[in-house]
Amino acid sequence: MKGLIYFAVIVGLVPVQSVLLQHISLWGVKPDLGFVAVCLIGLLWGELDGLLVGLALGWAMSLFSAQDLISSAVLKGAVGFVAGVAGRQVVYLSPVVLVVGLLVVSCLAGLVTPFVLRLSVQQDWWWAVWTVVLPQACLDAVIGGAIYWLMWSRLNIEQVMSESRM
Amino acid sequence: MRMVNLRAPYSARRVALVLAVILVLGFLLLPGQLQNVFQQVGSPFGWIISWPLQAVAGVHDRIADIWGRYVALQEVEEENQQLKRELDLLKEQNGQLREASAATERLSALLEFKKQALPTSVAAQVIGRDTSNWYKTIILNKGASDGLQSDQGVITPAGVVGRVVKTTASTAVVLLVTDPNNAIAGLIQRTRDEGIVEGTTQGQARLKYIPLLSNARPGDHVVTSGLVGGFPRGIPIGTITRIDKEEEALFQSAELSPEVDPNRVEEVLVIRPSFVPTEGERLGVPKLKP
Repeated sequence: MKGLIYFAVIVGLVPVQSVLLQHISLWGVKPDLGFVAVCLIGLLWGELDGLLVGLALGWAMSLFSAQDLISSAVLKGAVGFVAGVAGRQVVYLSPVVLVVGLLVVSCLAGLVTPFVLRLSVQQDWWWAVWTVVLPQACLDAVIGGAIYWLMWSRLNIEQVMSESRM
Repeated sequence: MRMVNLRAPYSARRVALVLAVILVLGFLLLPGQLQNVFQQVGSPFGWIISWPLQAVAGVHDRIADIWGRYVALQEVEEENQQLKRELDLLKEQNGQLREASAATERLSALLEFKKQALPTSVAAQVIGRDTSNWYKTIILNKGASDGLQSDQGVITPAGVVGRVVKTTASTAVVLLVTDPNNAIAGLIQRTRDEGIVEGTTQGQARLKYIPLLSNARPGDHVVTSGLVGGFPRGIPIGTITRIDKEEEALFQSAELSPEVDPNRVEEVLVIRPSFVPTEGERLGVPKLKP
């Protein structure tokens, strides 16, 4: 059942990311829903789920991008794994702490990406930071925080987190 | 925030760690081979994802169409009058072009040129944009099963859009001419000077490596040179808006305004090179045995 849900998340997120998100982009930058989903899955359901969903989602998203197929999969897998490890260390996580966490992790992942992708010389580090990494990290943090707040207000997150690790 | 160490199920953590290590090692040691494997496996998976993708794109287009028809009807009357005037002018030009076209066709047929050199094209619809923020691409609703391959040129009647960089069974990703990672061989139509057209981070394009002695100027049109890449010669790329000549530089460069606005493109043509027999194949020369 869980596998089916993850499959639906992967198959559903790609169309939303490539078709609908262009309308809610800020300064031409759109949030990475894949990153947000992988972080939440890792955080709530552990590092193995985070890693596997991250690998699959990164790979599926890179099929519809000029990005090379492996770097995206490895980056998202690593993010899911780190989120899982971080989630294992906490029992209670407020939406505000999650927003800050997402902001930091999205910035770190964004800073690594230009080196992994070997972009054009025009797209240097400063360009990446100001035009992609920071705006995207803000959007990721806001959207991730909003989704987590919705879950937090309706579900018993602490119970979900502890049950998934038993 | 209370920090508590929960008891971890070691088997799951071990599997996760082993998987992560294998993947990172594979990524570092065999990037090319892994890329091929991922691409091969991705083709059918991409086909599965293309169904919801096309469904969402269909709904999105429908809503955009309704919006365009019923809501955004401002200034339509004025635009209609202007279009009628343009239509009259174009009808006249069309008549002249028909005459020229008929003459060209006769000459082409005479030289058996059409059969050998004119490429075929596949019409495709734009159904999405890049899933990341790092590249400027569009996603087409045609893929490898329609004969699309990497490096094929993509155009509209107005000019160059970009080139195919990735395909799945039923979709293709096109890197736009305005992406800094794209490079297309270009030619200034008036001066016949060649260069390389690259995208810029501002969403425009730039013609690089123009010879210093070239007298290119703003307003000149740049077309494909047909030397490399999936484009035949003479397809419009853009118009020069500024020439940059630096002191002690070996070349000059020019800023271009692309003919096609990639953000508004909806339908495109993908150029498939037609089969041109080599001299050996034409004369029936037997191939060398290994």
